[in-house]
Amino acid sequence: MKNNFFGEEKAVILGLGELRVGMCPMGTIGLGSCIALILHDQRRSLGGLAHIMLPESRGNTDRPGKFADTATSTLLLEMERLGSTRSAITANVVGGASMFEYSANSLNIGERNAAAVKGLLNDLGVRIAHEEIGGKVGRSVYYWPEEKGRLIIKRADGTCTELF
Amino acid sequence: MELDPFQADALRELGNIGAAHAATSLSQMLMSPIEMTVPEVQAVDIADMHNYIGNEISAIVVFQIQGEVADGGYIVVSMPQETIVRLTNQMLGTTDADREINEMDQSAAIEIGNIMISAFLDATAELLEIVMLPSPPALAIDMAHAAFESIIAQMAGDVNDILIFNTELTSEAPPIYGSIYMLPKPELMQQLFTMLEDLMTPLT
Repeated sequence: MKNNFFGEEKAVILGLGELRVGMCPMGTIGLGSCIALILHDQRRSLGGLAHIMLPESRGNTDRPGKFADTATSTLLLEMERLGSTRSAITANVVGGASMFEYSANSLNIGERNAAAVKGLLNDLGVRIAHEEIGGKVGRSVYYWPEEKGRLIIKRADGTCTELF
Repeated sequence: MELDPFQADALRELGNIGAAHAATSLSQMLMSPIEMTVPEVQAVDIADMHNYIGNEISAIVVFQIQGEVADGGYIVVSMPQETIVRLTNQMLGTTDADREINEMDQSAAIEIGNIMISAFLDATAELLEIVMLPSPPALAIDMAHAAFESIIAQMAGDVNDILIFNTELTSEAPPIYGSIYMLPKPELMQQLFTMLEDLMTPLT
């Protein structure tokens, strides 16, 4: 499948439930109810991204990126292991849309995902630099740890936001 | 989730019958021939989903599979934006192809999905001699992968791969394209296999 990652060759596209910490450009394509949680350390040009699917792991540990609780703690832990201090880390939270009209609530997990991630970041004392959550639009996110945490959010309606 | 060749075959055949009926109903609605690809059945890891479900803006109509079967499983019709506009035009006799999706297109997408999926489930249920019904439809017009995420979140809390049955429907005039996906949860899967095995056991 074609990935329109602005021509970046080293970019890593993270699928559902995956997470990654590093300095290479990262992104997720087609975020709906899922959350892209980006932790950025400006001082070290280091960052991490998780493509979170559900709010609670309920004991599942094999794919930490899949759940808000395990993803948040794993990203922080790996970044701290690479030398980041918690106070230097800021978070960006994108996604958590409600994609379906005329639907039972069960398909609208986005809100719960967003609430879970924000609650966890608050508890862990990580500042949220930018959030774009909710609504009913799909989004793609691209993130460059080495370019001051540059972040591009591209929405299904064709609009784009570039940050930092 | 591993499928043995017998299971994959059985599911492919079951889906084939359903999809053929769905294609026929679409063909009758449009009064034009519809081609159908050989169905694929595969277990897809959720992390690879974005390689499998594209990012094109599409109308995604989702139904839960209900009736005399184990709870759990979705069936989805996915049609690219241009196809929906063409289908609406075809049915209303309008010609403006270069426009944004409007409310009429949304109703058309839901209605077409409803008719196709009812035909799909009717045919498969009849073969198995049970009742299978679609839930009321849910519609998203957005990046296909974004819409599928909500469905996958419902199915893959405890598992990391999802069984997908997929077939594509196309027509040359009008040029339309659509896909049907069936995503059975393991319980439903097991039940379908048991019924198919019974069906293939010769009477003694």
